[in-house]
Amino acid sequence: MPEHKTRYFGTMTFAEDAIIRFPKGLPGFPDETRFLLIEQPVNAPLLFLQSLNRSDLCFLATPAPAICPEFHLSIGAEDLSVIGLPEDRQPAAGKDVLCLALITLSEDKRPAANLLAPVLINWRNHTGVQAIQVESGYSHTHPIFAEREVAPCS
Amino acid sequence: MLVIRRRPGESILIGEDIAIEVLEIGPGRVKLGITAPREIAVLRGEIRLTGETNQLAAREVALPVIESLIERLRARGVCDEK
Repeated sequence: MPEHKTRYFGTMTFAEDAIIRFPKGLPGFPDETRFLLIEQPVNAPLLFLQSLNRSDLCFLATPAPAICPEFHLSIGAEDLSVIGLPEDRQPAAGKDVLCLALITLSEDKRPAANLLAPVLINWRNHTGVQAIQVESGYSHTHPIFAEREVAPCS
Repeated sequence: MLVIRRRPGESILIGEDIAIEVLEIGPGRVKLGITAPREIAVLRGEIRLTGETNQLAAREVALPVIESLIERLRARGVCDEK
């Protein structure tokens, strides 16, 4: 089985069919087209999207519905076709596609999740895309934790 | 910045082969039709925001910070549990 050096977990072995292809790369990272999703119960609900091209590149993510249970998708036809989904209807998050929000942690700000552009993974064909939602109103820096109460979802 | 007023059905030409037509004006948003050669990338402005956010998100995070994030995510539950 192939091995890969990861940012947070040392060297990991993985099955070939664990590779997720991102034909378009990610915004800001157009050359990163192959990732592993590292999902371990001990770290749930946090997941790690590790680049197979760059060992030092690993995004933190969590299922978007864990941030916002009513999370709904509004994905353009082009992005749906990238991951081989029908273009005439919206996929259901967590059902048709795994839908992840990438997390930004910066020292001066509260942890934020990008709900505007979720990472969609179609496990049927092992492809993914980070899709900018068409008509969502979601923020690219949705605060995960509010000061006192939980942040509203939209 | 060039500012042009347009009505639905009217368009703007950019160079020889890019045309932007105003298709529909609704409450709070406008629907545009863009005709451009295949090699011209037409992207929503938000893609740049997400590119910048991804650059921030890609920075290394110290393990204790990750551990504390996991704890807080677990304690938080989901957002309809108010």
